[in-house]
Amino acid sequence: MGYQHKPTFIEKIAEKLHLIPNLHQDKVTDLPHLKEPGKLTNYPPPEQWDDWVEHEAKSWPRREKKHYTIVPTTCFNCESACGLLAYVDKESGAIRKFEGNPYHPGSRGRNCAKGPATINQITDPDRILYPMKRDGERGSGKWKRVSWDEALNDIAGRIRKALQEGRNNEVAYHVGRPGHEGYADRILKSWGVDGHNSHTNICSAGARFGYNLWYGYDRPSPDHANAKFILLISAHLESGHYFNPHAQRIIEGMMNGAKLAVFDPRLSNTASMSDYWLPTYPGSEAAVLLAMVKVILDEGLYNFDFMHDWVNWKDYLKAVHPDKPATFETFIEALKEEYKEYTPEFAAQEAGVDADMVVEVARKIGEAGTRFATHNWRSAASGNLGGWAVSRALHFLNVLTGSVGTVGGTSPNAWNKFKPSFFDNPPAQKFWNELHFPNEYPLAFFEMSFLLPHFLKEGRGKMDVYFTRVFNPVWTYPDGFSWMEALQDESMVGMHIALTPTWNETAYFADYVLPMGHSGERHDINSYATHSGMWIGFRQPVLREAARREGKPFQFTYDVNPGEVWEEDEFWIELSWRIDPDESLGVRKHFISPYRPGEKITIDEYYQFIFEHTPGLPEKAAEEGLTPLDYMRKYGAFEVEKTSYSKHKKPLSEEQLAGTKVDEESNIISKNGEAIGVMINGNAMVGFPTPSRKHEFYSQTMVDWKWPEYTIPTYVKSHIHPDNIDKSKGEFPLVPTFRLPVLIHSRSGNAKWLTEIANRNPIWMHTSDAEKLGVKTNDLLRVSTDIGYFVDKVWVTEGMKPGVVACSHHIGRWRRPQDETGNRWATNTVKIEKGEGGKWMMQTIAGIKPFESKDKDSSRIFWSDGGVHQNITFPVHPDPISGMHCWHQKVKIELAHEGDKYGDIMVDTDKSFEVYKEWLAMARPAPGPGGLRRPLWFPRPLTPSIEQFYIKEE
Amino acid sequence: MKYGFIIDNRKCIGCHACTVACKSEHDVPIGVNRTWVKQVEKGQYPDTQRLFSVMRCNHCTNAPCVEICPVEALHVREDGIVDFDNSRCIGCKACTQACPYDALYIDPETNTAAKCNYCSHRVEIGLEPACVNVCPEHAIISGDMEDPESEISHLLSTQKVTVRKPEKGTEPNLFYINGDDAALTPSLSRESDDYLWNSQTGGVGHFAKYADYKKQQSDPEAMKEVLAGKQGNGQKQIQAIMSKSRRVYDAPAKGTLWGWEVSTYVWTKAISTGAFLVPFLALGFGLADVSETIKWTSIVLGLVFLTLTGGFLVKDLDQPTRFIYVLLRPQWKSWLVRGGYAITVFGGLLTLWAVSVFMGWGMVETIALWAGAALAILTSIYTAFLFAQAKSRDFWQSPALSLHMLLHSFMAGAAVFGIFSIMSEATTDWTDFLNKVLMISVGVNLFTMLLELATPHGTIDAKKTVKMIVSGRYKNLFWIGVVVFGNILPMVLAGTGLTLGLPAASVLVLMGMYITEHIWVQAPQQIPLS
Repeated sequence: MGYQHKPTFIEKIAEKLHLIPNLHQDKVTDLPHLKEPGKLTNYPPPEQWDDWVEHEAKSWPRREKKHYTIVPTTCFNCESACGLLAYVDKESGAIRKFEGNPYHPGSRGRNCAKGPATINQITDPDRILYPMKRDGERGSGKWKRVSWDEALNDIAGRIRKALQEGRNNEVAYHVGRPGHEGYADRILKSWGVDGHNSHTNICSAGARFGYNLWYGYDRPSPDHANAKFILLISAHLESGHYFNPHAQRIIEGMMNGAKLAVFDPRLSNTASMSDYWLPTYPGSEAAVLLAMVKVILDEGLYNFDFMHDWVNWKDYLKAVHPDKPATFETFIEALKEEYKEYTPEFAAQEAGVDADMVVEVARKIGEAGTRFATHNWRSAASGNLGGWAVSRALHFLNVLTGSVGTVGGTSPNAWNKFKPSFFDNPPAQKFWNELHFPNEYPLAFFEMSFLLPHFLKEGRGKMDVYFTRVFNPVWTYPDGFSWMEALQDESMVGMHIALTPTWNETAYFADYVLPMGHSGERHDINSYATHSGMWIGFRQPVLREAARREGKPFQFTYDVNPGEVWEEDEFWIELSWRIDPDESLGVRKHFISPYRPGEKITIDEYYQFIFEHTPGLPEKAAEEGLTPLDYMRKYGAFEVEKTSYSKHKKPLSEEQLAGTKVDEESNIISKNGEAIGVMINGNAMVGFPTPSRKHEFYSQTMVDWKWPEYTIPTYVKSHIHPDNIDKSKGEFPLVPTFRLPVLIHSRSGNAKWLTEIANRNPIWMHTSDAEKLGVKTNDLLRVSTDIGYFVDKVWVTEGMKPGVVACSHHIGRWRRPQDETGNRWATNTVKIEKGEGGKWMMQTIAGIKPFESKDKDSSRIFWSDGGVHQNITFPVHPDPISGMHCWHQKVKIELAHEGDKYGDIMVDTDKSFEVYKEWLAMARPAPGPGGLRRPLWFPRPLTPSIEQFYIKEE
Repeated sequence: MKYGFIIDNRKCIGCHACTVACKSEHDVPIGVNRTWVKQVEKGQYPDTQRLFSVMRCNHCTNAPCVEICPVEALHVREDGIVDFDNSRCIGCKACTQACPYDALYIDPETNTAAKCNYCSHRVEIGLEPACVNVCPEHAIISGDMEDPESEISHLLSTQKVTVRKPEKGTEPNLFYINGDDAALTPSLSRESDDYLWNSQTGGVGHFAKYADYKKQQSDPEAMKEVLAGKQGNGQKQIQAIMSKSRRVYDAPAKGTLWGWEVSTYVWTKAISTGAFLVPFLALGFGLADVSETIKWTSIVLGLVFLTLTGGFLVKDLDQPTRFIYVLLRPQWKSWLVRGGYAITVFGGLLTLWAVSVFMGWGMVETIALWAGAALAILTSIYTAFLFAQAKSRDFWQSPALSLHMLLHSFMAGAAVFGIFSIMSEATTDWTDFLNKVLMISVGVNLFTMLLELATPHGTIDAKKTVKMIVSGRYKNLFWIGVVVFGNILPMVLAGTGLTLGLPAASVLVLMGMYITEHIWVQAPQQIPLS
């Protein structure tokens, strides 16, 4: 049912006489309707994906038919890895658009703005198309194009030399955006280096530590869709892991009657959607949560069975109240005593929220019982000294209500995350890299990555070969100028190789910039805890898959990608192969095809093996007459488990039980000295991966590692607690951690449809504070941290807690005059000057400007404000326990000084080194019991061989 | 079958996915949007909310864009979708003035109008629109509202829904669940120079061609007074509304879509028709002697200014080479078409008059004169009907607008002859006549204009426009340029009876008219529609 234009008599005649063109052609379709008229469906049926025909929107209402081959892949913007379908135009061979993948169990065919914007990243006129080598001083902005062969040989030779000389700890891979389930770890193990560094400690270390203390898993996986009450210390309706999948399920839960409470000092979109907004003072969250704990305890709203069976209360009583009877009732009484000070009034005072609301929310949580879903992502746990206490207190509520692993409750994330099986597992490396895991931080989650420049400056070691992968510490990390100093010093960093899809502030200081693909240009396997269930997603280079379908020849992914854009997967294989040309280093043997003896493995074979060994996938594929690999190529995702509840209750098998001992007192089942389960009410169950195999309300680990004051969940006063803020001096806590729904760190700056929506980051300030300062929206403020200042505009709003300010870190991208191209949609041009000592000055010399390119939109850029780079003015704040960089800053806010210009930044790196030393002094270093560097039950990426866990006597 | 949309604000999280998916599907240039998510903050801490409202074409049953489109580039499909065909579009931008929802823009790539078309290219083969597909929350619901089984029908019958600007009578087919007045009514939220996450320093779309974006001067004081008038709101309530609602995101402003070309064409048209109507008045009713010179002056001025009028009309088109479509692909309900034909026929009659004067065909001359007068009047006033079709602009809905245009014709006619009176030897009889026409038309014009501004206006937007003219950004231009120099002073000068009084008054009248047209065309366009 469409529209047929009926021309007037005049138009008919005029068209006949050729006075005007005939516009009455090509307006009838002969394409079949997928459904009966009036009914619509979401996606083309997969049996038509190889040759899908639809009308081109741009030439509508002419019915211009376009033939596409539809290739699934996954998004590479935030970590969620939502499903995408790439529409590859069969005629032009180019990708026309990305839509969602309805067969992806996490994202279910839907996406946030960043999914469809992927096409911008593919066609960005400023993207890096060829391998580049620096052609001048490091950081000079001069580059020359090199071949992949040249780059591979040069880098491989350097790594080979380091390995031959036993300098394994000088080779490191530092990852910003991970994914890549186990791939890079396998490579590093094959090289025998302890070379994994990550971004975790500027992201989630605090939350991870708090969770891990409880149950040996470091993240939660809420079952929002089935919850009755949802409590978020996060902004999951706009950001965080896993934004789109979680946001879908939160709203689903709410539409089914769940109530939502949100802790956030600023009115996030999530807070705005909530039933209860608790604008907690930053750092006070644990106090509020423990007040809720108290209400639930006092009013008897706790879950007896779960608390009784799955909490190590006996350990607690034994250690703290050895004199009292070891009964559950004693425990509850002791609990009430422990938390009696956390009255709603105390919480209200600490947090500046309504005490009645605290009580009301606590009761709702108690009523929701096992259907209570929670999450804490970044936010409070990442902002504050002792932030880990927030997730520990939050999970306490799940423990009290017994909502762990339940329908509508909160599971450990690992229950919903798949671990692939590899064709070859190299042995654990025989090195412990103290630049990543220094003895000062034995409990850290994980690598102390943000201290790297300071470690290098202190002479703790050097990086001879340093890979950064989709990683931009100069811009994303605190103290970016210290990073610039370290990266520019060749005695600290011998060779820096930036693996990145797009130019960034760190790549400017690389020796090689190697273009790696965006989503749809690379291989990867993803699995994330988006809900109670388990899935795998297959990120694949879509033009490669399209070429394969068409029978077109290619060897490597860069043969089919734009320019010579490659992917890490193949790069690592080729690099590893070249590191060990004569097989003397024992690297090559880990890259031999499982299907073609003696031959180098191909990337297809790598994934073929994984998919063949994914439970249920071969059977599912066989139903369609496909191989597991072809199934994944076609659908891009597979659901390994539909739901995943109560896995802690999984019974131990006969086989597992053979040769085990059960400890009479603790009921722990152990085998060869290792705890593998626990007896609960006479049944052998797997339990949780903690020493007690239960939830650890009482942590002996904290005692053992010199933190006896934190054996049980408690409230730790933040470094920005009101006690430390002098309001009379214009001091405020600055919350700098929040994201916008349309952006993702450094990676989205090259997406024009996203930057046109968001391109500036003013400081949020409550009306009353602005009145006191005498400023109105857009006035300039100078915001001073402990090491410098930045000058930004103010946004006066009723959506901010009075006495607190906030600024998003997502904006304020820059390039220098010598960096001719690179994210020009989003970057200001800045002048950087080094002064006396460690003094650095950065000034915006030009905002964002229209530019000519193959994309006409670049000449239509209508914004010029590119925001301000705030993170670079922050000193490092390593939490002495979790190792988290505590993001929140105590800042002094004043009107801009005379001569201050928007975007001005000043930092003294000598001062940042001092602040580093101050915080370092708070740590309580290893060794722990038995000379350990780290508790053996704590997870660690790229786990070295066991002897490496012990500090050697020198 | 009738497709519609529901925006379910219980679920919309303001993520902008729909905006970007739409851009991707239709390859929409930056700066313009077929759909976007307006965001308004309301309330006082801690009772603060951010309201998200998906904005787009409302696929109206009585679509004013379709009615005003001169060339049927916009049309309503059998399934209720309001679609467009950019190969027909001449870029006249009338649709952008007609749509009360700000749904249309001029695509900078094609220079033609565009908007949400419900992804009709997808719907036709059975696929959901791209925005519906991408939405993480299923907050955009599409479907056949006449199918009782459909999800949209179910929601329409079980939920309380609201539409934007129902008073416009467009019968929109986009409904909001939990729609909030503060978000859906443009005048209820403060505009900002910059939004929270973005700002605008350049023009976009059609506007980008002309000038850098000039920040619209918001006039909060004036707006407060306006709001005070609405339903007897007290000062307290006004303060409350104004201080509690504020736009934090909106699509970039498109600028003024009808620029100087439009006000100039209204002005040249008045001169052309006036140059004919004034001698006609004298001839037809024997009010004064009309010499051959005057006749030829009338013919030449009429034709020259009519040609200029056509020229400016074409110049204003974003697809100027397609101007002939107005006549050859006519959509008869559009006053642009009716006006186009009026101009053409009037031009023909002027020519016929010239021929008959030249040939001395008395009978033909009389016919040409009377028919010409009818067409001159139509030509003179049709723009008022066109403006009335521009439903988004409340101020243009005034019934006095056609009188205003007609008076301007007489003023212009008298004025051009008044100027010519010093160049050639005019009889006292003729100049007296001109003086009278001028004084009467200016006098009535002044009265009409002030009456128009002083009469209570029904809508906030119209009131805001009046405020803008009388006491806002246009106040100096209006009071000094229009009232004093354009109307009062000419009356005084013409009344003195001095030799130079008439020509001086005439110059001032023409200038005043130009300023008036400028204000009348521009001011209403400053009112935000979304």
